[in-house]
Order: sequence, then C-alpha cells, then structure tokens
Amino acid sequence: MQPEAFFLPVKTPGSTQISQRFCLFYPARGDVLRGMVLYVHPFAEEMNKSRRMATLQARAFAQEGYSVLQIDLLGCGDSSGDFGDATWQDWINDVVQGCHWLLNRVNTQVVPGKSPLWLWGLRAGCLLAVDAATQLNYPCNFLFWQPPAIGKPLLQQFLRLKVAWNMLDGQSKGVMDSVRTTLNSGLPVEIAGYMLSPALALGLDQAALRPPTYTDAERRLEWFELSTRDDANLSPVSAKSIAQWRQEGFDSRSHIVRGIAFWQTSEIEEAPELIEASTNSVRPSPHDLR
Amino acid sequence: MRQVRQLASVWEFELDITQEVLRILDEVLSLNGRAKTFTGSTPLLGAIPELDSMAVVTLITTLEEQFGLVVDDDDIDGSTFATVGSLTDFVNSKLAA
Repeated sequence: MQPEAFFLPVKTPGSTQISQRFCLFYPARGDVLRGMVLYVHPFAEEMNKSRRMATLQARAFAQEGYSVLQIDLLGCGDSSGDFGDATWQDWINDVVQGCHWLLNRVNTQVVPGKSPLWLWGLRAGCLLAVDAATQLNYPCNFLFWQPPAIGKPLLQQFLRLKVAWNMLDGQSKGVMDSVRTTLNSGLPVEIAGYMLSPALALGLDQAALRPPTYTDAERRLEWFELSTRDDANLSPVSAKSIAQWRQEGFDSRSHIVRGIAFWQTSEIEEAPELIEASTNSVRPSPHDLR
Repeated sequence: MRQVRQLASVWEFELDITQEVLRILDEVLSLNGRAKTFTGSTPLLGAIPELDSMAVVTLITTLEEQFGLVVDDDDIDGSTFATVGSLTDFVNSKLAA
C-alpha cells in the first residue's frame, strides 16, 4: 500500500510566511470510513528510530478503514526549516493544521458521531497532541504510545546527550550546568547534531499531559506502554495520570504490551504486538455500538 | 548459619542485578543475546561500537526506570561505563544510597 506523499503549506501564526510540511496520507481501505488518525512523532532522533513502526501502524489502521495522516513537524524529517528554528508552539500549530487538512480531506465520508478523530502520539508526540487538541475546535480521541506525564524528563534526557557526548571525549563534568546556563540566557545549544532553541526547550520543559476539557462529547483514551519484562506494571505516575483523564470524562484504558523500546534502540526494531493491540484498541467500544 | 544465609541472599541479589544489567545492555544496544556471554570484566566503553552517546543516555534512563534509581548528571562519567562490573557496581551503589 503506497501512501500519498505531499507538502502541506503552513502559515506561521502572526506572519505572512508560508513553509512546507512533508506529509504522508494513507487513505482508508474499504467503503466505510471508520475514523481518522493523525500521527504525532516523537522528539529528535527518536523520530528517526520509530519511522518504521509508524509506517507499519499507519498501514494497519488504513487496512481497518481509518484514514491516516503523518506530518513531519517544522524542521523535522523532510519538512522545511531547520530543527533550530522550531518552537513548541510552531509544532502545536503544525499538528492543528494537519488535523484541519485531514478533516477537510475526508469531509464527505464522515458520519457524524461515528467517525472519530484519533490523535496518536509517541513519547513527546503525546504531549504535543494534547496541547494541539486544546487549540482544535473538534473533539479528539487519544492513542498514546509510551506517554510521559510531563515533558521535563524528556528534556533532561535530551540534554544528557551532550554530557554523554563529552564523556566519550573524556570530559563531562560541568557540561549540564553550562548547557542550562546557555539556554537560560536565551541562546541555542547544539546537541548530537540538533540545534535546540531556548523556546523549544522551554516548551518541552513545561509540557504536561493534561486532558482537554470537553463538555458534551464522549471521548476515549487508549494508553500503551511497552515492556520486555513479564511482571511489568503501570508506573505510579502513569496510573495517576490515567486517573486524571478518567476524572475529566475520558473512557480510558491502559495496556502493557510485550515489546522493545524501539524509539531508542541502537538498531531499528519492531514491536508487532503493539501494532496489533493498538489496531484493536481504536475499534468502536461496545458503548458506541449501542 | 544465619550469617551464611544472609550472605547467600545478598549474593543472589547481586547476581540478579548483574543479570538485569546484562538484559538491559542487550536490549538497548541491540546485541541479540551477545550480552549473555559478558562477564564483570567485559569492557564496554570504547569496546562496543553500539555504545554511542545516545545509547549511553538510553542506558541511564532505562536503569533509572527499571531499578527506580536517580542518576546525577555528574555520574555520567567514563569510569562508570568502563566495564560490565563497573556499571553493576554503580547500580549497586545507587540502590544502597
């Protein structure tokens, strides 16, 4: 199944500048459109490591009757701009624009109330999906792969790349302090080939997986974590976060699936059980069918 | 006798930690089971090409998650990642802290 590749023109808010985002669109197979899915990729190198899994899952969704859009955010993948140009708000804007495109494209096929829009995020992509949903005037369901409750540890992990890089050169002491000082003084830092702007660092640092508030719609959350251990459980922080989503009225389910942390392994890896379980999870719940 | 039993359980615990460290190394570095042949003196940094800066950070994050420990930025030091033994000692010292 070949997706349609195209560039989506995106206007920078508050400016007349237009730049291009590389997109892949997988049209739903079959006569009935069961829903729409927009994929939000993770941060920096994790995006490259997970490209294969994203493709496999997008194909599986399309096969099941979902129309799927993958968008490379500003300065990522084949989109225009440099990574160092991007701010957190730029990326939120890109996700919102991607949703608009998807809703427009499938407009004629949408059955009101029966064709949900799923925002599917991996790692930092989950945080972006939530922030975008609050700016999008359309109720969304959420499919999270290994979601972080907050962005702070992801930023720390990324900054540590610089420390590790220096360690391999023999000197790592004091590197983290100097990186943070540079960012705090409003200057970018170069980490593992990526230029990180202070605005992007701040956005990621302050991001949190807060459930969007919908007054009327019945919405769903499918939360996936991977583990290669047999006795894996949800971490307390994940359990707390899911409880918060339930409280906001989300019909929420958590799943622990056997599989490797493919977004960070040395080689490109697959987690087939995650794909199968995710594809099953977005099917209409018995409640919807009543 | 009691002391012997205590020593035995400490020894088993440390063995478990070594096994777990090896399992994590194998997964993070995509070693396809090669880590099973590693011993305490097996060199890591500079000897295993897969151990680049990204793998070092992934390793630290995974150790933090799996063992529930906190690594300081200053702990990210070449001596910690020199051998399987030095990495296991590091995990043990963090767990004891």
